[in-house]
Amino acid sequence: MSEAIPEPAMSAVKDSSHLASGDFAGAFALLAEMTQGLAESLDIDATLERALERIVAHLDAVVGSLWLIDEETEDLVCRASVGSRPITGMRLPLTQGVVGRCVRDNRCATVLDVEKDSEFAREVDEQSGFVTRSILCAPLSFSVRPLGAIQIVNKRSDDACFSESDIHPLRVLASSAALAIANARMAAAAVDHERVRRELELAAEIQQNLLPSPLPRPFPIHGVNVPARSMSGDFFDILPLEGGRIAFCLGDVSGKGMNAALLMAKTVSLYRCLAKTIDRPGRLLSILNDEIFETATRGMFVTMVAGVYETRAGRIRLANAGHEPLLRHTRSGEFEAIPAGAPPLGIARRGEVPETEVQLDGDSLYTFSDGLTEACSKTGEQLGSKGLQRLIARSTHLSLAGRVDAIIGFVKGLELRDDLTLLAICGDCDCVDGRVNAECVLALRIAASVDQLRKIREAVREAVESCGCSAECTADVVMAVDEACQNVIRHAYGGDPGGAIELMIERCGEDLVISLRDFARKVDPKKVKPRDLDEIRPGGLGTHLIREMVDSADFVRPESGEGNLLRMVKRIR
Amino acid sequence: MSHTVREERGSLVVSFEGDVDLEYSPTARKVLLDAVSQDRNVLVDLSGVSYIDSSGVANLVEAFQISREKGTGFALVSVSAEALRVFGLARLDEVFTIHESLEDGLDGDA
Repeated sequence: MSEAIPEPAMSAVKDSSHLASGDFAGAFALLAEMTQGLAESLDIDATLERALERIVAHLDAVVGSLWLIDEETEDLVCRASVGSRPITGMRLPLTQGVVGRCVRDNRCATVLDVEKDSEFAREVDEQSGFVTRSILCAPLSFSVRPLGAIQIVNKRSDDACFSESDIHPLRVLASSAALAIANARMAAAAVDHERVRRELELAAEIQQNLLPSPLPRPFPIHGVNVPARSMSGDFFDILPLEGGRIAFCLGDVSGKGMNAALLMAKTVSLYRCLAKTIDRPGRLLSILNDEIFETATRGMFVTMVAGVYETRAGRIRLANAGHEPLLRHTRSGEFEAIPAGAPPLGIARRGEVPETEVQLDGDSLYTFSDGLTEACSKTGEQLGSKGLQRLIARSTHLSLAGRVDAIIGFVKGLELRDDLTLLAICGDCDCVDGRVNAECVLALRIAASVDQLRKIREAVREAVESCGCSAECTADVVMAVDEACQNVIRHAYGGDPGGAIELMIERCGEDLVISLRDFARKVDPKKVKPRDLDEIRPGGLGTHLIREMVDSADFVRPESGEGNLLRMVKRIR
Repeated sequence: MSHTVREERGSLVVSFEGDVDLEYSPTARKVLLDAVSQDRNVLVDLSGVSYIDSSGVANLVEAFQISREKGTGFALVSVSAEALRVFGLARLDEVFTIHESLEDGLDGDA
């Protein structure tokens, strides 16, 4: 045997030549040093090479090789070798050689003298030209899973044969190397995982930004979305429009995970864009449907509710494409479901989604995703529509946002199977239009009689001027109130002088909100129509003038009692 | 609220003073219908009118239509900016003949 020893190994042998084989104190020192080296580096090949050099030197071997299982081919691949003729990169089937046996059995294999072992793979010697006399082989395994093996060949001393006492240090050193390999692999996986996690985090952030930013409170619509995973297939939007109208939507994309999240992003973006110009939710949903149908992956669909809340009239126009029925909670505590009028979006081309008109009359309306009603208690019982109704009923004393937060807070404590989304619309008068701190500038109760009109005009003029309004703006409000009072006197009371009119003007920021209340029989707002101006005739001008003088004029249901309440809003800036 | 009716250069000049609102408009209507029934050109002087509501406008429309049927003249003079705006909103500014002053009205076709 005339094996030349490579330089690094040679020096290593020299350094540790004081260590006898089986010298456990030395083995521990080496182990400590090696473990530290392995722990400090994530470059697995370089680290293994160094570890192998140390092991070979410590055990006074001539050559050493480290083999790992190639997970694709299930061959053994030599990943590091020490000796004059490197065999790094060589492959061996798992079925062959002492190293193969060691990995298969996941235990040490020794051939103290190859002459006496039939399983010795002579091909390696044939390829490398090396003459093998004695082999020690220890498995590299991590939590019982074999990763590979370390093999050392030919002892430098004696008759080139290893002894039984060389096995233990090799096994200990191999365990440490195995740990390092597993560690490095996990570190690599963790880096990958971390990259994916960061990308998901970023995507989730972008997705949450697609949902509406918090609106000034109290606002008459409030929504919350809680994704089940990092990404959500649910969405909602709230979009204040001109004239006290608020567009809103809530939807749920079929499926979960990234694909649902992408379709969600598309749907909610299209909605926001369309809602700014399309007043009618049924038409909007029909356009969305065609868009999703044309471009979405087949089999994916979206259930969605879209609506426009005309806050001053307390009226909602709704369109529902295959989504859970909306839940109306009346002021008297009853629940009423408003079901879907059309199938979900994205399944087939079709016309407009039918619209429903809801006069809110101070009631509240809830729309939600099925993740809410399908949330389960510990006993596996679903919350269901009844459970949600109980939650709504017990939170009525809270503000709108408080109610939504309380319901979501409770449901979050249950076992969630899907994303949670809840949107509530409040018909209570005190947060209509999201108006806060309304300042009353005029409150009058006066007989419904023509001889009171001048007094009313004077009072209105003074009140509106006190708000710093221009002469033209003041004249507009005076005329609108005068004409509206005439309608009450002439039409609502029909000239009966016993009636009363209550007039209130409130300043809410840049709006004057004018409420005119009578106690006559109910006026059918459909019959109060401005006349056709092309037809020149006396009369019928009053309603037209009112609409010209103020920004909006709508009949809303009075909070209590008989009669009519006309609410007019005039923008004063 | 008050009104006067006088004859000037063959025309009847009806002048209103104050607010022409629902309280006063029955009176105003009577005065106007009376004037247009006399087969003479009528000038309605609104210089003293600070406020006119839809019922007041309706009276003017009714009187205008009657004089047109009769073929007599009917014109408004000295209409305040506020009243002009109301006529404009009702698209009546294109229907009524409106003169800036009584002089213009008396010199004109009405």
